Amino acid sequence: MKYDELDGPVGKGIAGVMDAGAGYCDARYYAEDGSETLVMYDGNLESNSSSFESGLGVRVLYGGAWGFAATSRGSDVAQAFDKALANAKTAAMLVSVPLDMGVRPGVKGSYSSPVQKDPFDVPLQEKLGFLASMDERLKADFVQRRVVFLYLQRMRNRFWNSEGSIIDRNLVNCFANAIIMAQDSDGQMQRRSKSLHTTGTGTRGWEMVTDPDLWSGRFEGMKEELSQLLSAPELAFGRRSVILLPGQGHLQVHETIGHPLELDRILGYELSFAGGSFVTLDSFGKLRYGSDKLSVSAYGSIENSPGTFGFDDEGTPERDYLLIDKGLLVNCLTSRAMISEANQAAGRRVFESSGGASRSTAFHKAPIDRMTNVNVLPGGDGTLEDIVATTEDGVILDNPTSWSIGSNREHFHFGCEIAWEVKGGKVTRVLKNPTYRGHTLDFYSKLSAVGDRSTWVVEQVPNCGKGEPNQVMEIGHGVPVMRFDDVIAGEER
Amino acid sequence: MLDETTRDAILRVRDEAADKGIDAFFVMHREKSHLMRIGNNSVSLNTSVDLTRLDVEVIDGRREGSYTVMGDITGPESVRSALDAAVEKASLSAPKDYDPISPAVQGNAEEMLQYDEALEEMDSRDKAVVYREIIEGSGKGLNHSGSWSSGSTEVLLACTGNGNLAWRIGTDQQFSCVLKHPKEKWELASFQTGWRAGDVKAGATLAAFDRLLPVYEKPGFRVEPGEYTVIFGSQALAEIVGMALGTGFGGRGYEEGMNWTCGSGVGDRILSEKVTLVDDPDDNDTFRFGFDMAGMTRSRFPLVERGVMKSLLYDLATAARYGRRPTPHHGSVSVVMAPGDGPECPLEAVKKMGRVLFIPALHYTHIPNRSKGIFTGSSRFSAVLVEDGEMVRPIFSSRITDTFQNVLGNIAALAPWRASVNGSSTYGRRMPEAASVPGYMVSTGVRISDCAESF
Ligand SMILES: [Zn+2]
Repeated sequence: MKYDELDGPVGKGIAGVMDAGAGYCDARYYAEDGSETLVMYDGNLESNSSSFESGLGVRVLYGGAWGFAATSRGSDVAQAFDKALANAKTAAMLVSVPLDMGVRPGVKGSYSSPVQKDPFDVPLQEKLGFLASMDERLKADFVQRRVVFLYLQRMRNRFWNSEGSIIDRNLVNCFANAIIMAQDSDGQMQRRSKSLHTTGTGTRGWEMVTDPDLWSGRFEGMKEELSQLLSAPELAFGRRSVILLPGQGHLQVHETIGHPLELDRILGYELSFAGGSFVTLDSFGKLRYGSDKLSVSAYGSIENSPGTFGFDDEGTPERDYLLIDKGLLVNCLTSRAMISEANQAAGRRVFESSGGASRSTAFHKAPIDRMTNVNVLPGGDGTLEDIVATTEDGVILDNPTSWSIGSNREHFHFGCEIAWEVKGGKVTRVLKNPTYRGHTLDFYSKLSAVGDRSTWVVEQVPNCGKGEPNQVMEIGHGVPVMRFDDVIAGEER
Repeated sequence: MLDETTRDAILRVRDEAADKGIDAFFVMHREKSHLMRIGNNSVSLNTSVDLTRLDVEVIDGRREGSYTVMGDITGPESVRSALDAAVEKASLSAPKDYDPISPAVQGNAEEMLQYDEALEEMDSRDKAVVYREIIEGSGKGLNHSGSWSSGSTEVLLACTGNGNLAWRIGTDQQFSCVLKHPKEKWELASFQTGWRAGDVKAGATLAAFDRLLPVYEKPGFRVEPGEYTVIFGSQALAEIVGMALGTGFGGRGYEEGMNWTCGSGVGDRILSEKVTLVDDPDDNDTFRFGFDMAGMTRSRFPLVERGVMKSLLYDLATAARYGRRPTPHHGSVSVVMAPGDGPECPLEAVKKMGRVLFIPALHYTHIPNRSKGIFTGSSRFSAVLVEDGEMVRPIFSSRITDTFQNVLGNIAALAPWRASVNGSSTYGRRMPEAASVPGYMVSTGVRISDCAESF
């Protein structure tokens, strides 16, 4: 259906539920929510699939409680509003903390991801030819497994709300990953991988996938590193410095800064699934989250990231602001209803306005508080080489193989693909099976070096899970090289 | 319930495709899903969706393509356009270096063994009433959260290779309630599962909380890293068993040297003699599918018998590539672990074992080293310290980092009864899955690698 054909029925639906006593209503129609997954495994195209969704999702706030309903049938617009209102009325039966959206003026606007070449306009054969050429470049005598993965998304939707907002968005995401594997001298499978990253500026269409600087330029290095892993000793248990490259640092930030700073987690709305947060409403403006080298932004005005989308799913424009300022916790990731509740609960104005972080993964899911881009700002400690030169005893770590985080994000355990030992300011050898663990606040208090802009890239996360019904979201993280001291790395047995 | 328009449209297009010599496989998936979420003693979301998806997979020699569309099947045209898209994708695809195995519906099926219309049409007000009873009946001043997902899943499978049609409709529900102390942040949880309206009872959750609340009035205990005897509850046990199967029994990982079982083979003893595992689609404590999503007929399938590995699981692609027979494990499986001969009550089982940790559920488990079978995850809900068979104090968030071989190899006791553990997620399409495992497992020498200073 065309947007214009829906303006009337949707406007009527919104007016109807507001007349029935709702406090707020919004609707999202997805004309297209398409994806394409191509996976080449040892040169065989093992996945060649596309999907297409289209439909309307309606959210109604009534009596301080949310009701939601969705339909993929264009003829069911009125029923979707009725169902969402009925669901909200039922929800209002059990309310101890009424939710409130506050009052905001309507917004009219549009946003399109910057794209030179839409990946869905690239012929399939061209994409497959490109994948085959990437696969060819991963080959080497000792490489036993090769995986080249491409996941493309295109979404076109219109948003309306009861404040008169109308916003159109056209979003494009390109994710790519390459993995090579081989068995080491102990018969254990080792791997190296590289995901497509962005520089933070420029466009994010097919041209990004084919830019060697963002992905395939690393393939030769990956092969060299894998060959070294095959005869490398295992990282021994002990305390030492860990230097996280962005391939690992972005997940550290995602799990132990991004998630604990989602306001719905802080307020206790994720307890039955993802968990809570060690952060409380009293923490803002008081809690030392890390050393004064730690400054973290939300959104960060990054041009080309999956966490850049113009307006969130409540119609709030994306906003660039600091979450952590020189180690001090100052803000978090917020939506409208959550800041209203937090300010009431705290009895003071902790948050000024929504952080534009209310996001939904599909027309048939209700928006929740999500990360946008959660970024560590570049520091003044130079290049990776400069940081290594000032490290007495440590390891450089890259790319996660496992991640397990405490339910309030207070502690964590990560496994990585590779470690490079650093002794006396020099890289000495490669070590396999590295793991490290820590307690979040203690860990960030020992952040002792932050790389400059030359070390900073935007890593793309295509698969952050949260919410019930569960939602997978796309997120970006701009991160530099970071060094943490006195960290437990390796396993005791 | 499947309408004739949908069925006729799929069959008509299937026959047209067969006439043209197209090798196509059709899966229609329809869900009616409802979910109520509770946060801060309130309903935080009440949502319902009715979604239909159609997957079409086409194999063209060694080329393959698939297309999924969400939307109503209003007639043959909707099916035809999805088929055309899959045909085009297959025709443009790159050929594999092996012959793919075409999915095929192995037999006709019409199943509604676990279908309850009352649950499919359940009024969400009934859910609010149950949660209200729990909130009012437990933990004054505490914070209740939870979610209650319920609905129906209907699938119809057809292929051009034969005239068979496999259809199933079933209902399922998954209930949770979490009780949290607003300051201390400890959490108790209660989970319930089933496929009938009325399977979820407020009283069961209230009783579970009542048992633990007195223990949680005591201060939290920080567990020093080291080796402990641990009572795993059924939630934790189902998670460990599921991960052990996923990383040890997948044919792809085994053929390619990734699994922790790679040093062994079928017929070798790999776990404790107390461990017997089957995939049993006839077990009513799991969600029963008589066929899998590749059309293969399912029946009782032994995985581990008294610690001995009995079989590996092969999907169509892996079987084709490595010249093996595919096994019917595409979609929901029914893992059933045989009960043991321990006492009814887990506390009785550890009465003479001194200091023991009771960890009912694990949070955020992952696999740092698949080759070695190492997993890691932390305690969360309702975890307590037990001394001489008495629950004495709640424990702070504690991390287990150990191997499947150790935890499922050194079993001191297994419950003589089984519990159904719902393992469904709501990320993608509705596809209920549950395991039936002993109510508890006592393992010795379990490695606690870290512990927080808080819950
Ligand atoms: Zn995440």
